[in-house]
Amino acid sequence: MSEILDLLRYSFVQRALIAGSLISICASILGVILVLKHYSLIGHGLSEIGFASLSIAAALKISAIYITAPAVIVAAFIIMFVSERFKTAGDIAIAVASSAALALGVIISSLSGSASNMSSYLFGSVLALSESDLIFAVILAVIIILAFVIFYNRLFLISYNEDYARSLGINITYYQALISILTAFIIVTGMRIMGTLLISGVIILPAVSAKNLASGFQSLVIYSAIISFIAFIAGLTLSFALNIPAGAAVILANTIILILVKVFIK
Amino acid sequence: MTERLNLSNALIKYGDKTLLNDVSLKANSGEMIFITGINGAGKSTLIKAMAGLIALSSGEININGRISYVPQVEEADRDFPAKVIEIVLTGTQRPGKIFYSRHDKQLAIRSMRELKISDLSKRKINTLSGGQLKRVFIARALCGEPDILLLDEPCAGLDSESHDILFTLLRKKISEGCLILMVTHDDSDFEYIPEARVITLSGGRII
Repeated sequence: MSEILDLLRYSFVQRALIAGSLISICASILGVILVLKHYSLIGHGLSEIGFASLSIAAALKISAIYITAPAVIVAAFIIMFVSERFKTAGDIAIAVASSAALALGVIISSLSGSASNMSSYLFGSVLALSESDLIFAVILAVIIILAFVIFYNRLFLISYNEDYARSLGINITYYQALISILTAFIIVTGMRIMGTLLISGVIILPAVSAKNLASGFQSLVIYSAIISFIAFIAGLTLSFALNIPAGAAVILANTIILILVKVFIK
Repeated sequence: MTERLNLSNALIKYGDKTLLNDVSLKANSGEMIFITGINGAGKSTLIKAMAGLIALSSGEININGRISYVPQVEEADRDFPAKVIEIVLTGTQRPGKIFYSRHDKQLAIRSMRELKISDLSKRKINTLSGGQLKRVFIARALCGEPDILLLDEPCAGLDSESHDILFTLLRKKISEGCLILMVTHDDSDFEYIPEARVITLSGGRII
């Protein structure tokens, strides 16, 4: 244990701890809305679209953020729009888009010779975060938490019943766009930390666990954030102790919490 | 009296089906209108069009005032982790207003008291019976201080005591100038407010 605590002296560990905690907490807060609106698969679909756009960026040798962020935002908006308009077609749209995007990403990275670099995006590399990654994570966390606090009542209403919100004259498209954009940014940032294949778990699992504990929407958001933070710290500690990938360890910790909650709470 | 609703030549088509056909209706503040008809006559479609949930294929609808709507069936997740007070408060939301004021909270408390559900305020909605939930939705609609109240079969699932409470409240709202349009299948509802207009729909038309 003291060896693990010693690691905190290293700046790369501090960066991993701060950026990872913030992204985990923000992902879990957004996850509450996605789970309640039955959009749980969106994170998975978007992260694979993110992977495809990363492959394109790597092949073109340009900074990933310029391609990934717009691609994932547009995809998030299209998926949410399709899900909303054509209820059952939403699942199909996500399944088709995510499989096609993953295949496209693998082919492009293979043809461009960047396949080895892409593995860090597939499984994450929390210990390789740069100073700018940390700054981006902090700014994103501030934006997400502020947006959630300011629009809390509206997000509650829209998560509960969009039709009722419409009958009150509220334009829900603005809020769908807000949710899409924030989700897209969390995925783009989280892919670097947790990996393309695992970020959707960080978004969804804490909210699913918290749903078993919460008595209301507010407590659901708080429990989800706390569970996500605990799972991230536990996962990171586990990854140091057992020398396993951090992203996978965080998801494992989240899964264990979910199982414990299911077994002991209900 | 203020004109609150003016619907002229409203037509709603869904594919080949005509759900609402050339419906015109004017209504003023302080009026009560019962909308009746057999299943599939277009009653809920008419109410949803007034609530802004279904667009007209042609015709015009002019609404003057704030609307509150109680749906026939709430299209929401029954397991949504929300307390009664959280749901009731949403009735005070409107465009451009994102925080609840002290007044909003007082309105929510008052409408829960009027519907006799104050003791349920901290309960999760998935622990309520169908009738209790219906009263929660009516309380939500009333706490929005509506000028126009749209009720789609609000009495379904209500026991006789709740039924009486509802009509006492509706009479009070009418006297305060609220326009109320209520879909019902039960002709005995007309006796509670004898001065109300009754509109019968058949095949999407007013007959």
